[in-house]
Amino acid sequence: MEIPNRLVQALYSGVLNGSVYGLMAIGLTLIWGSLRMLNLAHGALYIAGAYIAYGVLGGLGLPVPVTFALAVGGAALVGLFIQLILINPILEKPGRDSAALIATLAASIIVQSTILLIFGGQTKQLPPVVDGGFKVGTTLISYQGLVVIGAAVVCLLLMTIFLRASRLGLAIRAISQNMDAAKLMGIPIVPAFVVVMVISAALAGLAGVLLGSILFFTPSGGFTPMLMAMVVTIFGGLGSVGGTIWAAYIIGLMESFLAVYVGPSWALPGIFLFMIAMLVIRPNGLLGLGEVRRL
Amino acid sequence: MLKVTDLEAGYGGSQVLHALSLHVGDGETVVVLGPNGHGKSTLLRAISGLIRPSAGRVEFNGVDLTRLPTEQIVGSGVVHIPQGDLPFPEMTVLENLLVGAYRPGAWSERAERIEKVFHLFPALAERKRQLARSLSGGERRMLALGRGLMSKARLLMIDEPSLGLAPLVTEQVYETIDEIKRSGLAILLVDENAEHVAGLADRMYLLEAGVLVREGAAADLLRDEALLAAYLG
Amino acid sequence: MIEANAPRQGQALPRSAGDRPRLRPAARPWAEPSRLGIGIVAVAMLILPWALMLVDGGNYVTHLIITFFVWGIVAQCWNLIMGVSGVYSFGQLALFQVGAFTTGVLSFSVGVSPWVSIWVAPIAAVAAALIIGLPTLRLRGIYVVLLTLAFHELLRNWITTGPQWISGGGYGLARVPRLGFDRLLGPQYERVFYYYTGLVLFGVATYAIWRVLNSPIGLAFRALRDSEDYAISRGVDPFRFKLFLFAFSAFFTGLAGGFSAHYNGLASTSLFDFGVMINLLVMIVLGGWGTFAGPIFGTAILTFLTELLRAFDLYRILALGVAMAVIAVAAPEGLVPVLTRAFHSLFGVLFEADEPPAT
Repeated sequence: MEIPNRLVQALYSGVLNGSVYGLMAIGLTLIWGSLRMLNLAHGALYIAGAYIAYGVLGGLGLPVPVTFALAVGGAALVGLFIQLILINPILEKPGRDSAALIATLAASIIVQSTILLIFGGQTKQLPPVVDGGFKVGTTLISYQGLVVIGAAVVCLLLMTIFLRASRLGLAIRAISQNMDAAKLMGIPIVPAFVVVMVISAALAGLAGVLLGSILFFTPSGGFTPMLMAMVVTIFGGLGSVGGTIWAAYIIGLMESFLAVYVGPSWALPGIFLFMIAMLVIRPNGLLGLGEVRRL
Repeated sequence: MLKVTDLEAGYGGSQVLHALSLHVGDGETVVVLGPNGHGKSTLLRAISGLIRPSAGRVEFNGVDLTRLPTEQIVGSGVVHIPQGDLPFPEMTVLENLLVGAYRPGAWSERAERIEKVFHLFPALAERKRQLARSLSGGERRMLALGRGLMSKARLLMIDEPSLGLAPLVTEQVYETIDEIKRSGLAILLVDENAEHVAGLADRMYLLEAGVLVREGAAADLLRDEALLAAYLG
Repeated sequence: MIEANAPRQGQALPRSAGDRPRLRPAARPWAEPSRLGIGIVAVAMLILPWALMLVDGGNYVTHLIITFFVWGIVAQCWNLIMGVSGVYSFGQLALFQVGAFTTGVLSFSVGVSPWVSIWVAPIAAVAAALIIGLPTLRLRGIYVVLLTLAFHELLRNWITTGPQWISGGGYGLARVPRLGFDRLLGPQYERVFYYYTGLVLFGVATYAIWRVLNSPIGLAFRALRDSEDYAISRGVDPFRFKLFLFAFSAFFTGLAGGFSAHYNGLASTSLFDFGVMINLLVMIVLGGWGTFAGPIFGTAILTFLTELLRAFDLYRILALGVAMAVIAVAAPEGLVPVLTRAFHSLFGVLFEADEPPAT
């Protein structure tokens, strides 16, 4: 039987990208759902994960899994700082929507330029956890790619379970569905925000670390993934975790199919055009909760 | 139990409540009657911390609640069930109730509390895996009440429980509140219409334009002809 | 609600010597700035380039001022959209580039005279704005962010990877024809003419924006920003206003882009960089988000500060980020309102106090 090479390639890249987009988008959608805020620092957190891993590897030479864990933790810490220093103080102020935009943008600049100062601007790459791969037709499927997919899927599942089954997850969902009612249930709002931000930062950092072992990265490399994550978030419905996961894979596959069958430079424009069309026709997203009035 | 003194509160520039004082005793059911837009909801929101009072004091069992964040007010046992409450729409009935038991003290007892709530609201028990947004108006109101009971409430503040409900359902809602009352919980209920609360109230206040104009034992107020005309039907 | 009062001339607010008239951010409708103040400033600005030519390094200062003119226009336009009307558009830079590349392509690759193509630039920018605006402006804020960012990316992609006559190999078009000023009085006076052109453009744009801000349209915009729902209920149709505003600011932005292309002799793809956008954003945020004088102030500070810190370029962006963070947390309204309030409170006792700026 002849192997449909392009199909295999598209499927593999699509699932790979989709997994990573899912990790990033979940964080965005959680933040949006509970804080009603667009986190423009998300891309920076993603790339911070990759760079922290790079730095730790280069500097301390710890085994790779430990390094990756540290990187994720590092990204979470950065997120914590951002939340405590920049976000919490402006939560109560009027005009907090624009202030939040500026604050997260500022955070993103600070993180990126710090990375630039420390590591320089040349492209870097992380070593893979496992080497090698196998071919299906002309498509190279690296073991590292499978590791990435596997890790992402596991994390996505864990997140879903966390949100559905744990007390804290319940609280976060409550806040995003009806903040006043959540307050009246005695849920402490500000600590919940902090938790959401930390989780979201950790996921972004993880995404960065995972992809960093497959692709090259530069200090400003977080921008495009963040943009894609935003597309996924909107497509899946702002605030809906289940929808976001579906959307991540759909968009990932769409992107790779466009790249393989039409041409690589058509992938991004195609996705954006699709998104514009979708926003005009069906603004609520795929499985979304419906348009939110603020921001 | 609950002592409100000289409470002033409002939104933005406009003040809604003026030097308002009331109290609710242990196990009492107190009803605040007032026309729409005169500050009933504002009163409850000021007590539960959703809005901050600009002046005055709210005390509960000796603890000053006045400017505490809502989560602490709830923690001390004052549970506010807001008007026309749409519970968490994307959660099941069961999950909605569980959220009610968020506070640590209540969480550990959640299994028993759920049993009690299902006993009180059999309709909810049947629908426990249904999403809240698919419930009817009356069922949602029951859910809101039930959720309020999941926490260790000592005082339940209910805002217009029958708003927008059909007459038959309204009956059921008030009957349920009556059962809650009989279980010994203190209740502060605000409403527009005296018809249904007549049987429930121990004491009543009248709220007009953000000021409490009358106060007294329910029985006394309800004998007043003028009042009956204004607030019934 | 709009009273038909005659504007009060000669208000008691004192002017410190030798500054450009700092209009109060919420000038009453039809308020008029002091004619004398404007006159003095105008004369000063007219003489300035000649004076600078006599000074060592004055040529460079003139260049900086021209840069200030260009970015001052763009900053004001962006502020009009984001700060005043609350539309979170990140497409301003893209519109600038539309202007720059339109005139660049027309004059360089096609051979049209720059004096003609420079007027096509704003038209192209308006067309682009309408194309983006029609689907986008109906949607809520977060979608606008995404769509305008997407537009920026798409345009960047398209221009950078486009055919040679657009992309110039990826870096942009170099050797865009200049405006031919060198033929007037000789090459050493060329810059002076660019200065005047820039001054005129800046003046016209600033004036137009000022008129818009202080007209009923401007009030409607501010109503939109402060409470969209209320404004709608009072009969303000947000979409048409936003579209008009978007096109209006695109016009001047495109014009600035075109002028910049001819002045610098190039249309560069590096202006798509995020760093440039950040620079622009800080100009608005630093000076005063949503105010009239804010972006002007901010652009001035940033243009000259950038020069001073040129040696520390790497740290500059970091410092900008920190500055933005500090402003967002401590003074989200920017420096102009803060300073204005400080000014009022310091001197309010001595002079007749007007109502505080109500931006």
